[in-house]
Amino acid sequence: MKRKVALSLTSALIISSFVGCGSSKTAENGEVNVFVWTEYVSETAIKNFEDEAGIKVNVSTYSSNEDLLAKLKSESEGTYDVILPSDYAVEYLIAQDKLEELDKDALPNLSNIDDAYLDESFDPGNVYSAPYEGGVACIAVNTSKVDKDIKSYADLFDPSLEGQLVVLDDYRAVIGITERAMGLSMNETDPETLSEVEDKLLSLKNNIKLYDSDSPKSALISGDCSVGMIWSAEVALSMDENPDIEIVYPTEGSYVFLDNWCVPKGAKNYDNAMKFIDYMLSADAAKINIEDFPYLCPNKAALELMGEDYIANEAKNVPAEVISGGEFVKYLDTDTMAIYDDMWTKLKE
Amino acid sequence: MKKKFKSNLAKFAMITPISLWMYIMVALPFLYIILISFMHPGTYGGVELGVTLDNYKELLNPLYLVTFGRSIVMSTAVTCVCLLLAYPFCYFVAKKNDIQKKILMSCIMITFCVSMIIRLFMWINLLRSEGAVNHFFINIGWIQVPLKLVYSNMGAMIGLIYMLLPFMILPLFNSIEKIDYTILEAACDLGAKPFQSFINITIPLTKPGIFAGSVMVFIPSMGLYFVTDLMGGSKTLVIGNLIKNQFITARNWPLGAAMSVILMLITYLLLKAYQMAGGSMDDLSGM
Repeated sequence: MKRKVALSLTSALIISSFVGCGSSKTAENGEVNVFVWTEYVSETAIKNFEDEAGIKVNVSTYSSNEDLLAKLKSESEGTYDVILPSDYAVEYLIAQDKLEELDKDALPNLSNIDDAYLDESFDPGNVYSAPYEGGVACIAVNTSKVDKDIKSYADLFDPSLEGQLVVLDDYRAVIGITERAMGLSMNETDPETLSEVEDKLLSLKNNIKLYDSDSPKSALISGDCSVGMIWSAEVALSMDENPDIEIVYPTEGSYVFLDNWCVPKGAKNYDNAMKFIDYMLSADAAKINIEDFPYLCPNKAALELMGEDYIANEAKNVPAEVISGGEFVKYLDTDTMAIYDDMWTKLKE
Repeated sequence: MKKKFKSNLAKFAMITPISLWMYIMVALPFLYIILISFMHPGTYGGVELGVTLDNYKELLNPLYLVTFGRSIVMSTAVTCVCLLLAYPFCYFVAKKNDIQKKILMSCIMITFCVSMIIRLFMWINLLRSEGAVNHFFINIGWIQVPLKLVYSNMGAMIGLIYMLLPFMILPLFNSIEKIDYTILEAACDLGAKPFQSFINITIPLTKPGIFAGSVMVFIPSMGLYFVTDLMGGSKTLVIGNLIKNQFITARNWPLGAAMSVILMLITYLLLKAYQMAGGSMDDLSGM
């Protein structure tokens, strides 16, 4: 009996390894392989593109820039046609010569993007990248539970907030806000300065109740944590659920990020990739994406289509001065990374 | 002759896939990890060729040693609690009739039908400071301030114990069920008190189950980082977290690999100790 079971399981395994190799139906104009963040690009927008362009979109997802870079490193060239890295990852990919230049003639919709988000330091002239959405690591405060007036990252270190904070489980963000609170850059590399940063960082330890990057809004909505240092769109969504929550853009200037469409070197469907990116830059597509994932919208044509509830909501429609006064994270050298990692381990230990 | 060939063929057909699987999916990655633990970290993740012992030297950093030590203490505590919970349960179930046994053991197995992550989120909802458990205790007046049952070391422990309890129960149940009760009766006839016969007969007879269960709880508890991340609010580091951080955030693959090698070494030594104490490898898989 046992043997029969084993045999049938084995054969099932063998058979199943052959199933799924069948070719999927290809659309009239070929396909495009897209590799993007989870919970970030609307399925409706992708479906609309497939219908309009007759191009099949194969979507795979990642949940951190590091995942993306690791995948690009391990997969053979040409696996993906479109990727969506953040600012510092774009800079790194350019430095490594891993990106194709964008054909601006094929991207008329690039003109929809507000000038404020073009020509950024990580890709001057937007040779390789076109902005998608962005955001800020800002502060959320549950006003019914916190008396203290919180205005800055530095206020998060106040001892009265003991055990009340939810912060992103992201060492560049947590160390970065510590550096900003001390009036430093988020990309400090000097070991001596960093040892001061470490002392300050460890003073935050008692205040942190929870590290969560996946859904930090949950702990805020449920009331488990009363203050958060989280992504702006997460604050926006928690404000919809719990009216006591308010958003605070820190006075020191925020941790800012901008995600960008890029084409990795050796993409097999370059023309389709351009069509896809151009579609995503169109006002309609950007509107659908922003409605599903209310991050910062650099697309000024889409902003005109957005309703008052988006425009007036300062958590969703991040004010321009917050972005211009903020700072991008930069790629750091290995030695500095080791110091950052050391601090992070000490904080968590 | 023909018959023998036939049975050999059947054996071959069954053993080949699993052996191939083990070689390709287990042995090769193992070897790869060991190899890169001696290389230099690449600037942007990955590795650069070369041979160095620096990664192992780096492990002597007190920071990592403390985390390793703490992780081992925590795993020991988890194992002890699991044992204390599982033993009476198995003893109780072993005395039931066949149908009751099947039902009770199915209750343990059935939890595997739901994804681990979903079950952990359920615990978080129950145990959080505004959750049902704390509400209950506050309402009946036992406590005034909510207990920190999640997002703390306590939470991480609860998560690990919950996840790993079945792995203690299954081998333990196997060996408790096999006890020959006539021996206990004989002990009773000869004047042994229940406590004496438990210490001198039941425990020695169930030693294989105790060992097997402990090994199966202890080893995974050092690596299940997502449990401590979710239930402990990412504030408790087990060895698994350290390894994950080196590979993903710090981009120091060789150091992460060296940590993995040490973890494998700890596992190997434990299994060796288990074997030397008379444990059988079959008990570890014989559920």
